[in-house]
Amino acid sequence: MAPTGYYIALSGLLFAIGMIGVLTRRTAIMVFLSVELMLNAANLALVAFARSWGDLTGQTAVFIVMTLAAAEVAIGLAIIVAIFRKRETTNVDTLAGLKG
Amino acid sequence: MIAFLLLAPLALVGAIITVAAKNAVHASLGLVGTLLSVAGLFASLNASFLAATQVIVYAGAIMVLFLFVIMLLNANQPITGRDPVPFVRELAGIGGVILAGAFAVLAFTYRDARPLAESVPNLRGGGAGPVGEVLLTRFLLPFEAVSILLLVAIVGAVALVQRPASQPDGTPERERVVLPGPTEPPVEARETVVLSSERGRV
Repeated sequence: MAPTGYYIALSGLLFAIGMIGVLTRRTAIMVFLSVELMLNAANLALVAFARSWGDLTGQTAVFIVMTLAAAEVAIGLAIIVAIFRKRETTNVDTLAGLKG
Repeated sequence: MIAFLLLAPLALVGAIITVAAKNAVHASLGLVGTLLSVAGLFASLNASFLAATQVIVYAGAIMVLFLFVIMLLNANQPITGRDPVPFVRELAGIGGVILAGAFAVLAFTYRDARPLAESVPNLRGGGAGPVGEVLLTRFLLPFEAVSILLLVAIVGAVALVQRPASQPDGTPERERVVLPGPTEPPVEARETVVLSSERGRV
């Protein structure tokens, strides 16, 4: 049985890699993939804490997070398709129309 | 312990492929590897129902959606262009190192409230029954809110991707013809008509 700390370390590494991806990749789809990576890192930490406390609340929270991620992907990809039809690109740098 | 040592490097390699791959299809396949490894880690954490859900919902449904959109938009090629923020890579690297360091400190100073051998039996294996029990008692309000959210997401996705009935200039879709229409005669035929008429006049 691996200690809880190992799982948290792995979760932190995955989260950091996902954050680097969100900041450096220029395609909207790649940004989305990196966000999924960060969500999974958070889920892993939640399940590790659930085992540490012997409470199923953490695992149930992961279930809710998974549903949220599915809804987010459905809406986000629909927005990407709509933008691609209008602009012929998904480069996030050219989509700065709402910049203040 | 052995399961963790086998699955953790796989998850990290998949994550690095996800972030570093030039081709979007390769990146999403790397993410599938990470998701499957995380599902295995869930199973090693006594969360069997979540492991199954991870494989079905994440690695199955969500990644199919991603691959579908990548191929629909033909977006698997990388975008080559200059960075508008020149130092964003360095900033991301520094931020990632700081974040990973903070998590490492947390990880190696974390102490379980109780010994794991005492708390693991409370999870009852993390099967669908125990998890559903918590979901429909303590998490009842989030559960109902999520159902509404999913409905809104479905309706929103359909509304976003439906084509407008007419183009912005008011021309209906079926009347927008790019090729020369059938009423306009070919160039050669028009020239012969002009030539014969001139010849007749002479």
